[in-house]
Amino acid sequence: MSVDRRKIAVFGAAFMLRLLLTCLFPSLPDLLTGRVEVSTPVNSFKRLQEGLFLYTRNVSPYDGGVFHQAPLLLPLFALLPDAKSWPLPTAIFYFLVDLLNAYALVTISASGQSVKSRLHSAVRKHVRWDGVSVAAWFLFNPLTIATCLARATSVFTTSGILFAVSNAVGGNSINAMLALGFASYLSLYPALLFIPLVLVCYDRRSEGPNPPNVGSFIARHAALLLASVAGLLGLSCLITGNFWEFVSATYGFHLLVPDLTPNVGLWWYFFIEMFDSFREFFLGVFWLHLASYVGGLTTRFRRQPLFIITALLGVFAIFKPYPSISDASLFFALLPLYRHLFPLMRYTFFAGSAILYSSLLGPAFYHLWIYAGSGNANFFYAITLVWSLGLSILLADTVFAALRDEWEQEHPERVGTEVRQV
Amino acid sequence: MTVLSLFSLPFVALILSLWSSSAFASSDYHEHLLLHPLPQSSLLASFNFRSNTSQQSFDQQHFRYLPRALGQILQHAHTKELHLRFTTGIWDAESWGSRPWNGSKEGGTGVELWAWIDAPDDEAAFAKWVTLTQSLSGLFCASLNFVDSTRTTRPVVSFEPAGDHSAADQLHLLHGTLPGEVVCTENLTPFLKLLPCKGKAGISSLFDGHKLFDAAWQSMSVDIQPVCSANGECVVQIEQTVDMVLDIDRSKRSRYLANPIPRPVPNEQLVCDTSKPYNSDDTCYPLEKTNDKAWSLTEIFGRSLNGVCPLTELDGSSDQSVCLRVPHERGVFISEEAEEIKKDDGFTRCFKLAPSVPFDLSIPQQPVNTEVPLDEPVLHAERTIVGHGQERGGMRIIFGNPSNTSAVDFIYFESLPWFLRPYIHTLHATITGHDGVPREVPASEIVKETYYRPAIDRERGTQLELALFVPAASTVTLTYDFEKAILRYTEYPPDANRGFNVAPAVIRILDTAHDAPIYIRSTSLLLQLPTPDFSMPYNVIILTSTVIALAFGTIFNILVRRIVTLDEAAALGAQTLKGRLLGKFVAIRDRLRGKDTKVE
Repeated sequence: MSVDRRKIAVFGAAFMLRLLLTCLFPSLPDLLTGRVEVSTPVNSFKRLQEGLFLYTRNVSPYDGGVFHQAPLLLPLFALLPDAKSWPLPTAIFYFLVDLLNAYALVTISASGQSVKSRLHSAVRKHVRWDGVSVAAWFLFNPLTIATCLARATSVFTTSGILFAVSNAVGGNSINAMLALGFASYLSLYPALLFIPLVLVCYDRRSEGPNPPNVGSFIARHAALLLASVAGLLGLSCLITGNFWEFVSATYGFHLLVPDLTPNVGLWWYFFIEMFDSFREFFLGVFWLHLASYVGGLTTRFRRQPLFIITALLGVFAIFKPYPSISDASLFFALLPLYRHLFPLMRYTFFAGSAILYSSLLGPAFYHLWIYAGSGNANFFYAITLVWSLGLSILLADTVFAALRDEWEQEHPERVGTEVRQV
Repeated sequence: MTVLSLFSLPFVALILSLWSSSAFASSDYHEHLLLHPLPQSSLLASFNFRSNTSQQSFDQQHFRYLPRALGQILQHAHTKELHLRFTTGIWDAESWGSRPWNGSKEGGTGVELWAWIDAPDDEAAFAKWVTLTQSLSGLFCASLNFVDSTRTTRPVVSFEPAGDHSAADQLHLLHGTLPGEVVCTENLTPFLKLLPCKGKAGISSLFDGHKLFDAAWQSMSVDIQPVCSANGECVVQIEQTVDMVLDIDRSKRSRYLANPIPRPVPNEQLVCDTSKPYNSDDTCYPLEKTNDKAWSLTEIFGRSLNGVCPLTELDGSSDQSVCLRVPHERGVFISEEAEEIKKDDGFTRCFKLAPSVPFDLSIPQQPVNTEVPLDEPVLHAERTIVGHGQERGGMRIIFGNPSNTSAVDFIYFESLPWFLRPYIHTLHATITGHDGVPREVPASEIVKETYYRPAIDRERGTQLELALFVPAASTVTLTYDFEKAILRYTEYPPDANRGFNVAPAVIRILDTAHDAPIYIRSTSLLLQLPTPDFSMPYNVIILTSTVIALAFGTIFNILVRRIVTLDEAAALGAQTLKGRLLGKFVAIRDRLRGKDTKVE
């Protein structure tokens, strides 16, 4: 009973905090919507509204350079009242999505899969936070709040991923695949999570009697994922009427990165400065690099598939073409599930300082470049480098801690000794 | 055979000459100059040259007055109607009133081109359009070849063909602008070469590039269109105009005098408005320069008018090729051989020039009581970029209706470059009525129709056409937000921080009182885009790659290595290749040392 009360308190407080921020500072949502750290060309609420405006006037929103988001968002937002004159319903809708995401996190945490799965059992099982703490960590993360207030559409991708994971750890592999299909349909990159997610589902299934064949299990779920994506694409086709137009405006846009609006990632400035003849080559290299982590992590962490997902989300937050702080907030949301790894991490102070430093200086340097004119593009670029560096140190450190945890499980007599890697 | 052909040649020539004389019967040439002193000591000089040739001889490439170079380009590009404009400067509608030719002979700042092309479909029309722009680029020494797909639009309601076209033609209207083009003498020279007298005689002998492009506002136009009479006889008409507003004081100041640098007027020569409360010895509000300045053609244009172009059709009215609009009470001195004809309206007088005798006209300084009435413009329009910073901004368009009785209906057309991304859902309208209180209204209340074609990055620009109206004695302000895209560093011009030119908006007023539409063009805009650091592509490639390599290297290093305790690490170290090599090395060193000691 007391746990429930805590949960209600956390969820209620998170909701009230968002409501308070919206009501006390009515210009805050629009301000955050305009920030490049929060809104990228593929999740900007302002662009969504432009697309919606064209959509409701029977002009194809994809026959233009502004709107690059999934078509199903259009009828969804057409149902909500106009965000300009009635901002509160849309805002509350976003708050509720955030609470739902937190609820999915509670489910994931409650399953205990992060500390004890079929093939792995963490040594420091007792060092962990309960679901409500994990949810609170997510809900009160300033990055999450900023994303929520800015009404970035990446929260729907976040929901898709979190529900896919929560269904997978709950053993509901069909729902997991449907949710992943939804997330992949919205932003393409979550499709890379398919293998670790299907491994989570497989491990859950294998805990019960008569475990299925791995090959056929994966094939069945791949077919399910494809079917769900195909279904969503079919629905979108019904909405827009022109399949290739919206596919090239959404997924083509994700893949080819034609819009180089600044964001917190590494791609934009690189491709501004890239020589024209090498642009396609480096696009290929960057995508291959992003996809290469799936293979590496999956092979090494076969015993902890949930950790692969967490690490991959960290990779996406750094190396996606259009990352925003919402991707980082998703990575930070899953990290507390691995509270037992924190004692094993070595560079938390360094990574934490780098992230704090860049999140404080980023807006300032952006202002110097764009508004004050006293700095140039390199100021903001340098900060995005530090941000990516900070995140990648944190990620590498987490990966090391997870490996060490596995090693300690294999060698219980050596827990706590100094180690090195050879 | 040879004999026959020799015999037949004179016959063919005779036939040809007979035929051509009949074919050229409808080809003629007119030229006309109107001089109109404007307030603030300005002078509007409006030159017009018109010639035509029959459709038949045009199709058979018999060119007489119509320039062959242009005619062949039009035939090659299947262009049925062409309008080309070169414009610089700003027309000050507040002081000078409505525009010459109702704005139909002027373009936006820079170069503007629109044409009706006969083609089976859009792609073919665009291919012909590219041919046309490339050829005109060479002919007029202008950068028209830069009118690519991003600068080309297909206006729906803003332009109507002026010529009479046959119904069989599948006409496609294409419109392109180069707002950043600097119009100068290299464009004037080819323009003059198109004229039958090529600037040697007639009113075109007044053109001097130094004076023309020193004007406060100038516009050169070329219009070619088929014109059909009621009996179905068609001619191809070419009309060239040059309109300029010269500052009389500035033009009279010779460039060859000892003092060519403009200096402030000495205090004792200033005419101050003494009615101002702050008027004193050291503060002066200069009185508006009066209209009665003394000037002459030679002073203003730097040369005298060289007689009459002998090709001009002499048929009564058109031999009065120079007209002047000043009150009749004003004294005007003209060359002796010329003849002055005063018109009945009390303001216009025209001059009949003697052939091949230089003509000059001078007006002495004289206080006048009557003023030449100026037409009030039907609509005032102004477009500016608002906001600060290089990330986003807003467009603000202000339409003012000076009429107290009637509303103005018009089409507002703008083509924006793709790197300016408008958010059309933020379009807002504000009306300021008689009371001067701004009142926000939904845009749909003012805008009757919208034609909007959004831009696609690097492919095409935004095209926005609004059919709207301004109520009587009101001001309507339209605003919308836009975002500025950041480009690849190779897409910036060398002077990237100067900004990018945005083409002027075109306003077409649908006034029933005038049979021809009135056009107004706003000024062009300068758009500041965010710029990357152009000096460091290598550094960026290296730094980003370093961060990526660092992350990739660290993570995969951790993934592929084995975890061991420190003791094991030491033990393992001895077994590795490196450890064994080190051991060998130590052994050899020891042996060498041992040897050395032995030798010693």
